[in-house]
Amino acid sequence: MMGQFVFRNLFHRPMRTLIGVIAIAVEVTLVIVIVGLTSGMLQETAKRIEGIGADIMVQPSSSSVFLGFSGAPMPIKIGDKVHELKYVQYVSPALLQFNTSGGVETIWGIDPVSFRQVSNGFVFLEGHDMEGPDDMLIDDWQAKAKHVRLGDTYPLLNHNWKVAGIVEHGKAGRIFVPITTLQELVGARDKATIFLVKCTRPEHTPDVIAEIKELLPTNKVVPVKEYMSLMTSTNIPALQTFINSMIALAVSIGLLVIFLSMYTTVLERTRDIGVLKSLGASKFMIIRALLAETTLLCLLGIVAGIGLSYVVRAGFLSLFPTLSILITAGWVLRAGLIAIVGALIGASYPAWQASRKDAVEALAYD
Amino acid sequence: MAITVTIRTNSTGNAEPELKTLEPILKVENVWKLYHAGKVEVPALRGVNLDVLPGEAVAVMGPSGCGKSSLLYVIGGLATASRGKVLVDGNDLVAMGDAERTKLRRHKIGFVFQRFNLLPALTAKGNIAIAQYIHGDGFDPHRFEVVTKMLGLEGRLEHRPSEMSGGEQQRVAIARAIINEPKILLADEPTGNLDTKNSEIVLEMLRRLNKDLGQTIVMITHNPEATTYFDRVVHMRDGVIVDGVPAD
Repeated sequence: MMGQFVFRNLFHRPMRTLIGVIAIAVEVTLVIVIVGLTSGMLQETAKRIEGIGADIMVQPSSSSVFLGFSGAPMPIKIGDKVHELKYVQYVSPALLQFNTSGGVETIWGIDPVSFRQVSNGFVFLEGHDMEGPDDMLIDDWQAKAKHVRLGDTYPLLNHNWKVAGIVEHGKAGRIFVPITTLQELVGARDKATIFLVKCTRPEHTPDVIAEIKELLPTNKVVPVKEYMSLMTSTNIPALQTFINSMIALAVSIGLLVIFLSMYTTVLERTRDIGVLKSLGASKFMIIRALLAETTLLCLLGIVAGIGLSYVVRAGFLSLFPTLSILITAGWVLRAGLIAIVGALIGASYPAWQASRKDAVEALAYD
Repeated sequence: MAITVTIRTNSTGNAEPELKTLEPILKVENVWKLYHAGKVEVPALRGVNLDVLPGEAVAVMGPSGCGKSSLLYVIGGLATASRGKVLVDGNDLVAMGDAERTKLRRHKIGFVFQRFNLLPALTAKGNIAIAQYIHGDGFDPHRFEVVTKMLGLEGRLEHRPSEMSGGEQQRVAIARAIINEPKILLADEPTGNLDTKNSEIVLEMLRRLNKDLGQTIVMITHNPEATTYFDRVVHMRDGVIVDGVPAD
């Protein structure tokens, strides 16, 4: 009977219920999409690094996990020294340049020959490898996002590049240019951001790392397999704080809307509460009924929010194909729990207030 | 104080009335109810005394503001008396806490209001069944059928209050009030919002409840005709009962 009472009350004012459901749905969507976007982008970046096929990355000592932020402080000759080490098969230098003009992207300046050796080369969907100093390779996602075709001119860093090839995504970056041209453009002649090292056999990786550390004690030497685990929000300065802030903002929206909704509900149902009290309903029963109604409303909002998250993701990906939004069951569950707890907190005061209403005054309420 | 009364025994077909000594089901002793308007105390009840026997139907009449509704709410445990004693089936409401009064109301009191006060989101059936749910014994289909049939509600059970006439709504309210077999039925101007025809129907139903089922009823009314359906009429003025003469 209580279930029926709660259910019918919820749909007695469909517009108010709809607004409550939308508020919860927006809250859930915000949480899922923001977390999905950050973790998706991080994971996608890490996968692309892993996709190169190198075993070790050599970076400057103060480098960021965001490779493009590290500048180019290492002399390119370091690569030759590393190459001389035992169990090192290939070494490829890369200069990474972060660019925010016309979009946020990291340009990879690579040496085509050594990069091909380390990575076994690109999978070409169209065109061919870089042959001239102004040739550029882009991956298929970037080509789709920027509406670029083979042979097009691609202006970047005040330089006109020619799209020589479109490659399959999943290897290093999305834009590749010859390292020497990029060094000239950014004023980093004979410098590199990272060195990608391929060992003769993967099991030699620890030995090679030890050797490199001995050779370059101040540099950061990271096995590529570990890079995946480093690319989490907790390892990125302030990112976790940003995510927590956004979640708190989303929860605040849900909490305030539910508070307002239940507050007006209690006001509107003042006489009904008086009637329930005249029938002998306890304070606990009244609180329980209102919280059950909130929970039901919240569950509807969560279901709508999960659906909306997928719609938002599809919309984002069609507009920005290079984005990656990772929706995981764990975060869907967490977003739902966050929404329920927030909503119950929001409904607690109105419910408590309802339970304390004077029955006689409530029955006289117009 | 025990009272010797004549009890009808028509249910057994015995023509001879028998004498029994009964304790009042409701005993109001020197009850005061003071309201506070700022720093001013406004007395709504000024030492009311009233005894109601089991199976008795008592109408309380009086002008507006004489304290009738305050008396009803105090008797029903919705409001607390400032002074005095209110004994319902031997339980002193004045000495009870809010939770105990709620429990007593749940098991021993039924209310019928002037404005029907049905829950708008529920159907007639839901409005009646929720009283059974709150009572704690769950839905009793037999009792439900008996009560709804007696009140002529069989065909209206799936309708919401907004889809029913005033008379039908008040019959649903009566069904809700008696579904748990309360010791006392308290009715606050039950015909106040009804036309003459529906008023007569509702009053007749209250009388049948009293005569056929022995339901104790205390009813507040402005309607002098309503009092003709009741055993006893009590007049109130300025917060006190001024008489207690049997009705014709």
